[in-house]
Amino acid sequence: MEFELRSRSVEKKMTRRSLLGHTGQGASLLTFGVTAPGVLCDAATLATEQRILVVVEMAGGNDGLNTVVPIRDEIYRKARPNLAISSDDALSINDALGLHPSMRGMADLLEDGKLSIVQGVGYENPNRSHFESMDIWHSCQRKTEQRQNGWIGRYLESAQLSHLSDPPALHLGKRQQPLALMSRDVRVPSIQSLEQFRLRAAKSPDLRDAIRALSSQSRAGASDLLGFVQASSRNAMDASERMESAGVQYKPSEAYPETTLGRELETIAKLIASGLETRVYYVRIDGFDTHANQPGAHSVLLRSVSDAVGTLVRDVNAQGDGDRLLVMCFSEFGRRVAENASDGTDHGAAGPVLLAGNGVKAGVVGEHPRLDDLQSGDLKHRIDFRQVYTAILQQWLKCDASSVLGAVYDPVAVFSRS
Amino acid sequence: MNLMDVNPDWAWAAYEPSTNSPWNLDAVAHLFRRGGFGAPRKRLVESVENVPAEVVESLFSAEEPEAFQREMQTLIRAAIATGNVRQLAAQWVYRMLHTPAPLKEKMTLFWHGHFATSDEKVGDVRLMQTQNNLLRKYALGDFKALTLEISRDPAMLLYLDSATNRKSHPNENYAREIMELFCLGEGMYTEQDIQELARCFTGWEIKRERYRFNRYQHDSGTKTVLGVRGVESGEEAIGVVTEHPAAPRFLARKLFQFFVMDEPGPTDELLVPITRQLSDDRMNIGPTVQRILGSNLFFSPLARARKVRSPVELGVGFLRTFEGTTDFFQLAGAMYQLGQGLYQPPSVKGWDGGRTWINSSTLLGRANLIQRVLNGNKTRFGKQSLNEYFEANGVDSVEDIAEILEISLFAVPIPRPAIERVKALVTASEGSNWVNLAVHAFCTLPEFQVA
Repeated sequence: MEFELRSRSVEKKMTRRSLLGHTGQGASLLTFGVTAPGVLCDAATLATEQRILVVVEMAGGNDGLNTVVPIRDEIYRKARPNLAISSDDALSINDALGLHPSMRGMADLLEDGKLSIVQGVGYENPNRSHFESMDIWHSCQRKTEQRQNGWIGRYLESAQLSHLSDPPALHLGKRQQPLALMSRDVRVPSIQSLEQFRLRAAKSPDLRDAIRALSSQSRAGASDLLGFVQASSRNAMDASERMESAGVQYKPSEAYPETTLGRELETIAKLIASGLETRVYYVRIDGFDTHANQPGAHSVLLRSVSDAVGTLVRDVNAQGDGDRLLVMCFSEFGRRVAENASDGTDHGAAGPVLLAGNGVKAGVVGEHPRLDDLQSGDLKHRIDFRQVYTAILQQWLKCDASSVLGAVYDPVAVFSRS
Repeated sequence: MNLMDVNPDWAWAAYEPSTNSPWNLDAVAHLFRRGGFGAPRKRLVESVENVPAEVVESLFSAEEPEAFQREMQTLIRAAIATGNVRQLAAQWVYRMLHTPAPLKEKMTLFWHGHFATSDEKVGDVRLMQTQNNLLRKYALGDFKALTLEISRDPAMLLYLDSATNRKSHPNENYAREIMELFCLGEGMYTEQDIQELARCFTGWEIKRERYRFNRYQHDSGTKTVLGVRGVESGEEAIGVVTEHPAAPRFLARKLFQFFVMDEPGPTDELLVPITRQLSDDRMNIGPTVQRILGSNLFFSPLARARKVRSPVELGVGFLRTFEGTTDFFQLAGAMYQLGQGLYQPPSVKGWDGGRTWINSSTLLGRANLIQRVLNGNKTRFGKQSLNEYFEANGVDSVEDIAEILEISLFAVPIPRPAIERVKALVTASEGSNWVNLAVHAFCTLPEFQVA
């Protein structure tokens, strides 16, 4: 088995080299679309820098207008007699904008030059269904297209990270795996805590090896489904072994918030500190669907994200890996400009994406969406979310974004260097 | 044979045993797994003597005796008194394991995933159980009536914010989900339909944990829903939605996925006969489920081992097959960890099932669940230890264990090398509870994950 794996990776490398030889810069490969082989990703750069992306999914539709607040806008105040954040309370970004008062953690990052606020991100013909819109953000495909994988899954495939001894990506959380991480060839483990990577088998230390070996044998007439479970079982045994040895030495430089998200980000910091080669970490915080009684709930949620992300960025810097870290916080849509009668807001369209890390260009990127030019009561986007992905894929992960996203998008200028 | 080549009329015709899909222990075990949570070997041996249609019928005619219902009432009251949702989940796991009417529980679980409502938002176990009783009442019954009642169910009203649905600002949450997730599927309606439908539901409130209609908050203006003009009340609107032609197809597809296979998805053409039946039966669910479970396609090799066991099926199925009992509170917690917390589905979309149950962490968790159950001090099999239970059933070697597992629990044969490897593990462990070790090892195989 060992031997088989090795020969396969050699084959991949050769393919890569020979293809590069033929295509030079690789521009002509753009026509390969989403299924393009991963020859365009600069694996060498990745290997030396090992940059990390942490994705924080804010599920439910975050109210972007009360996250990055247009403090001087009269239309905003009129549309939200009960919910508007006053300019006195907001944490100032500039003359026109302020962060929600509970976002102290993000405000500190901004001050440190480690937060980039990308304004008015969305897509054409916005879908206001949570699941539809989330699936669009995850897969970059509309419902009419076959959606079997996600943008990160496709990145993992094309980046050819099979040489890594660790899972290329990890999903933390008890919920089902996000579509963004799905791909045909690369399986991403989900964990809730490191404890869950221990196979309980007190009396039989050989069980893991046995299952790994048995999962590797091909079955005559096995369905795709069983084949999938076999591959996943093998992966599970491998991952279990690595996790057990990882992260014994780590001590956080400061206390993480005592929230689920805080604990998850602390686990990520621990895995990074223990030298795990994982490139993408994915976490999710739910509850942003604030149809009713928004102020209290939204405040708690934003504080939770803001404090946890702030702590992560500082802690990873203290551990010496700060330059490798990028955090992206996004939501499937923003919310309607006008508040509803339940002190809440209904599903909307464009919203901000927050990027944190040493490498970002600090400040506001793009213009705040106009409140006097709406679509069915919702904000129009000015930046397509795939422009944000393109910047991350191309400039952060050093990968050909168009082969992952299936088309060429102008990257948003969110990095101070690349 | 390929699903694409299947003739829809043959697929849903009454199952006729053939050399390809004979009526044998495997077929009976398949039926009991899908139409319930599995059955002990002796039950399979009895059933195979009967004709298929009668065995299928027995799933539908089974009822909980009154004594059992009383016992459940007591357990439910006790669970509600604790206010702990995990306690409530434990009670349901107990019911699934001990009920003489497992299909009814299976369908109740189906509806729980369909009209998914989570205590994480509702925060009231009494209301969660009221909803559960409702799902059970209509488990194999009238979908239109169920949809109407669920729309006025307090837990649902809280979960989808309908309880604060006022005339001046209709709340679109429930209006959207009833069309997208409960009845029609995405794309069968417009944003305009959602807004109009939300107006129909204005004034639907909760007072003292019960539904009530507040006519002062109801928008009695003219509404047009799904092309039907002059819809006034929420009741009428639900009639319009549930009678829409997309509804039977949407439900047929979901039932197919739940009972027949996770993947690939069926074509609309393949679903035509059962879609038509649902429609002819005015969305009465029972006859269609009976047709599915008694069909050629259901018993064909195409449908075998094509479902990933859900965490609940995994835990309850393992115990039910060996007449087991265990610490249900702990088991319910393990199911939650594996992604299927009862009364706590992850979102209004319910559980996607299939491949989404499987990843490294859940695979290790599934193996650990079996290990915990096997070694739990509250675990008994037929009131005995597993060793004693197996002994009484004439099982006394690794080969025998493989055989009994294969007959009732596995949908595919256990590979020969696995049996040899488990023998070696047992030898190396020098005798310390070899039965538990062997069962645990077999249930960690990829084969065990599919049913």
